[in-house]
Amino acid sequence: MKVLYSNITKAIKAKPKIESLCYDLTLIGIEVDEIKSFQGDKIIDFDLTPNRGDCFSVKGLARDYCAYKDKKFSSVTKSSFKGKTKFNKKINLFAKDACPAYSAVSITNLKLIKKFPDYIKKTLKAAGIQSIHPLVDIVNFVMLESGQPMHVFDQDKIEGDIEVRFAKTKEQIKILGEKNLKLSRDCLVIADEKEPIAFAGISGGLNHSVSKKTQNFLIESAFFSPSIIKGKARRYGFQTDASQRFERGVDFNLHEDALKEALAIIQEIYQADISNVETIKNKHFPKKKVINISIKDVNLKLGTDLKENTIKSILNRLEIKLIKKNKNNLTFEVPSHRFDLSIKEDLIEEVARIVGYDNLPQIKNDSITQHYEKSDYDFINQIKTFMTNKGFNEVINYSFLDRQVLENLDIENKSISIKNPLNHSLSTLRTSLLPSLATNLEFNINRGQNFLSIFEMGKSFSNDTHMEYLNLAGLIYDDEKFKNWNTNQNYDFYYLKGILENLFAEFRIEKIFWKKSQNDLLHPYASADIYLKNKLIGTVGSINPRFIKSLGLNKAFLYFEIKVESLPRNDLGKLIAPSIYPISQRDFSFEIDNKVSYEQIENCIHISSKNFLIGTKIFDVYDGKNISDGKKSIAFRISWGSSKKTLSEEEINKEANLIISGMQKKLGAILR
Amino acid sequence: MDLDALKANLKKDFQQIVSQEELNQLKVKYLGKKGQITELSKNIKNLPSKERPSFGKKIGELRSLYEDLLSSAQEKIELQIINESLEKERIDVTLPGSFKSQGKLHPLTITTKKITDFFSSKGYLIEDGPEIESDYYNFDALNIPKDHPARDMHDTFYLDNGNLLRTHTSPVQIRSIEKRGAPLKIICPGKVYRSDADKTHTPMFHQIEGLVIDENVNFGHLKNEIMTFIDFFFGLDTKVRFRPSYFPFTEPSAEVDIMDNKSKNWLEIMGCGLVHPNVIDMAGLDSKKFSGFAFGMGIERMAKLSYKIEDMRSLFSNDIKFLSQ
Repeated sequence: MKVLYSNITKAIKAKPKIESLCYDLTLIGIEVDEIKSFQGDKIIDFDLTPNRGDCFSVKGLARDYCAYKDKKFSSVTKSSFKGKTKFNKKINLFAKDACPAYSAVSITNLKLIKKFPDYIKKTLKAAGIQSIHPLVDIVNFVMLESGQPMHVFDQDKIEGDIEVRFAKTKEQIKILGEKNLKLSRDCLVIADEKEPIAFAGISGGLNHSVSKKTQNFLIESAFFSPSIIKGKARRYGFQTDASQRFERGVDFNLHEDALKEALAIIQEIYQADISNVETIKNKHFPKKKVINISIKDVNLKLGTDLKENTIKSILNRLEIKLIKKNKNNLTFEVPSHRFDLSIKEDLIEEVARIVGYDNLPQIKNDSITQHYEKSDYDFINQIKTFMTNKGFNEVINYSFLDRQVLENLDIENKSISIKNPLNHSLSTLRTSLLPSLATNLEFNINRGQNFLSIFEMGKSFSNDTHMEYLNLAGLIYDDEKFKNWNTNQNYDFYYLKGILENLFAEFRIEKIFWKKSQNDLLHPYASADIYLKNKLIGTVGSINPRFIKSLGLNKAFLYFEIKVESLPRNDLGKLIAPSIYPISQRDFSFEIDNKVSYEQIENCIHISSKNFLIGTKIFDVYDGKNISDGKKSIAFRISWGSSKKTLSEEEINKEANLIISGMQKKLGAILR
Repeated sequence: MDLDALKANLKKDFQQIVSQEELNQLKVKYLGKKGQITELSKNIKNLPSKERPSFGKKIGELRSLYEDLLSSAQEKIELQIINESLEKERIDVTLPGSFKSQGKLHPLTITTKKITDFFSSKGYLIEDGPEIESDYYNFDALNIPKDHPARDMHDTFYLDNGNLLRTHTSPVQIRSIEKRGAPLKIICPGKVYRSDADKTHTPMFHQIEGLVIDENVNFGHLKNEIMTFIDFFFGLDTKVRFRPSYFPFTEPSAEVDIMDNKSKNWLEIMGCGLVHPNVIDMAGLDSKKFSGFAFGMGIERMAKLSYKIEDMRSLFSNDIKFLSQ
C-alpha cells in the first residue's frame, strides 16, 4: 500500500522525520518496503500483513502509530451532513450476515463551482489509482484516508430498487475492465430489478458505471462480511482495492461516516442536489467481540512480570476497552476495526507489540528433553560426504523440468504435472535425476569443462502411492585430451561400480547383486541393474548412445542412480579379531568360455572349496593372443585360513584340487 | 720387502681404491696365493726359532691392519654404490602431485549442516517430511483455511493429482506432533516451492524450521534460543531486532532482523512466534496444557550472507567452477 508521507503527518498531527516514523511503524509490525520521492513529498510503500486490515488506510496507520507513541488520536471527522432531497429507492438486504448494513445516497444536478483539489489528485496518483471521474476520485480518496471502499453508480441505468443478494444460477456480470465473470451461487452481488450491477465488495459492473455523460449518481457505502469476500476475486484471477480491504475486514461502524465525509468534500467543490443518506441495517449487524484474559495469561506467555494497570493502559491505547472484571478474569471489548483479534493470544501479542518485542526478556530453558533418536539426516549426509571423498561435486537441481525432456527419454510414464507451472520448461516433476544431471553436464561442457564428476541427492517423483523417492545419482564425463602428467585413470563401468561397491561396504550393506541392465536408458551390454537381495534398487552404466543427442550432448557419459530409501540403515558392525595363524594362498589361471560370468566362477569356487576359504581376488582377465576364440583367460588368487590352526600342505592341496575339478566339471574351465 | 715398507704400501693402496674391482685386486695382491702377506708368512719357517715369535706377532698385526682397512674400504664402496643407484632415481619434486581432486558439498548443504549441527547439539531431532503435500497439512492444519488472505503470501504450485508442492517446511511440525506428541524439539530442513522467480526468488528453495512444544513455553524462551543461534551463526557482536509480524500458525508472531555492519541496513533473517493454539489443538494436543514456539528461515538467505553471494540464482546454476571452490 502506497501512502503519502504528508498525509500521515497530517493524520498524526505531528511531524516526525520520515526515517523515525518508518522505524517506529516497523517496530509495531508495519513493514516499510520502500520510500520514494514524489512531487516534493515522499511515498511510503507499506508491506502490510494480511491480518491488519485496520491499517489499510492513512487513518488506520496513524491510529496504530499514536497508540504506540501514547498520543491522542481522533479517528473520524464527523460531518454534519444533511440531504436536501429524499432518497427514493428501496434497499433490500437479502444476504443476511453477508451484508448486514448498506448506505446509499443519490446526487443530481452536479455542477463544479471550485477547482478540483490538487491534493486529491496527488494522493490518488501516489497510491497508483487511476483518475476516472471526479466523484469516483473523491470516494477513492476517502477510501485511502479512512479505509472504507465505496462505489459510484450511474443512477439512471439502475432499474427500480436495489437488492443485495447472492448470485443466481448462471448469472454473469461484466466488471470494470471489460472482464465477463460467470458468477457462482456463493458470490454476493448488488442487483437492480433486472440484473447484477456490482460484484459486491469487489468491483462495479461495467454497464452501470459512471462516464462523462452521467447526469445522476448513486453512491454506495456498505459493510460486507470478510468471510464472504475472501478469495472471491482471487478465484477469478484479480484483486481490487475494494476486495483487498473487504476481505481483511473494514470497520463495520465506518460505512455511513465515510460516505458523509465524501459528501462533505463533494459539497465543497460542487453545487448539487444530494439526497439524505439512506442506511439500512438488518438484525445480523455484527457486535463487538469480547475476549476474556487474566494478567497471569499474559505474563505466562511473554515471560514477563507486567502489572494489571500497565496491561489495561496499553490495551486502552489500542481502543481495546476493559468492560468487565471478575476476580482475575478481565473482559475486554475489541474495537470494530480489529477483525484480527479474537483469542487471548491475540491480546497478548498486542501487549507485546506496544511494550516492544526488543524489551521482552530472554529466558534460558534447557529443561525440555526428549527421547533421542538417530536421524536419517545423518545417514544422508554421510553418503554425501562419501561421494565428495570420491571426487564428486554436489549439485542441486530443481525438482521440475520440461515434460518434453522426459518424453524424449521415454520416462514420462507416471509423471506428475504442475497445474500452474511458471513456464513449460518447469512443468513436470522429474521421474529420475538423470535429465537434471545431463543438463548440468551440457551447461558445464558449454563453459569449457571437459571433465565432470557430479552427484545429486534429491527426490524423484512418481504418481503412485509413495509419490516421492529420495535418490542418489552421479555422473562422470571424461573428454580430457591432456590428463595430468602422472594420472592414468580409466573412467569406465568398473570405475563407477567400484565406487558403489565402496559405498555399500562403507555402510555395511550386504547382499548386493549386479545383473545385466534392463534399463533402456543405458548401454544394453555394458550396464548393470543393482539388486539388494531381490529388490531392484538402482542402475549403473554408460548412457545409451541413442539418447545422447536428445540430452543435448555429443559424447557418452557414465551414470548411476540408486534409491536411498531402499538402503538399510545399519548400525555399527561387529569387529572380528583376525586369526593368529597364517593365511595360505594359491594362484590359478583358467581358460574358460567367454560367456561365463565372474559371478558364476565365484559361485563355483565357493561350492567347490567348502573348508577354510577366505576369499578370491581376481587379478587378470585376458582374451587376446594365445587364447582360443570364444574363450578367455582368467587368473585369481585364493586365500585359505583357519582361526584354530596353521593349515597343512595336504589340506591346502586338497582344497585347490577341489577347485580345479569343480571349475572343469561345472564350467568347462581348463587350468592353464 | 721389509715389514715397514709393506705396512706403508698397504695403507696407501687402500686409501686410493674407488671401486669394488680395485678392492678385489688388493685382496689378491696381499692375501692371494702369491699375495705379499701370504709370501711373508711363508718365510717364517726359514727363520731361526728365536726370532719366530716376534716375527709371527708382527705378521699378526699386519693382518689385522689389513682386515680393518678392508672392512672400512668395503663399507665406503657399498655406500658409494647405493648413492650412485639412488642418484638414478632422482625426481623433480616441483612437478604437481598426481592428486585426485576432492569433491565439494553444495554450499546449501554446508549451510544446512551448520544450522542442524547447532540445534542437534541442543537436543533437537532432525525431522523430514514429504515435498508433495496435501492442502490439509500445508494450509488447514496450520490455521490457514481456504480463502484466507495468507494463502496469497504463498504462491502455490498445484499438482494434477490433487496435491501441492509444500510452500514451507511447516507441515513437518504437524506431522511430527501427530507422530511424537510432546515434549517435542525438532528441526526440519528441506526443499520448498513457490511460483515465484526473480533475482531474489527461485521457484524451489530451502527452508529450515524449528519447533519446541512443552508445558509453559514462553516468548522469552523463543528469544533466548534465537539469540543464541545468531551468536553462533553470525558472531557475538551481531545487532539483532525482533519486530511484530504475522503468520497464521503463530501468535504472537515476530520477524527477526540482523544489522549488516557494512551497509547499516537491517536484514530480515527469520520468522518465528509462539505456536497458535489452533495449530496445537488440530495436531491433537491440548493447547490449554501445552504451548510452544516455532521459527523458520530460508537457507539460501543464510548461505548468501555467509558466502557473500550476490545473486541467489548462482546457487542453482550448478556451474562446476562455482561449486568446486
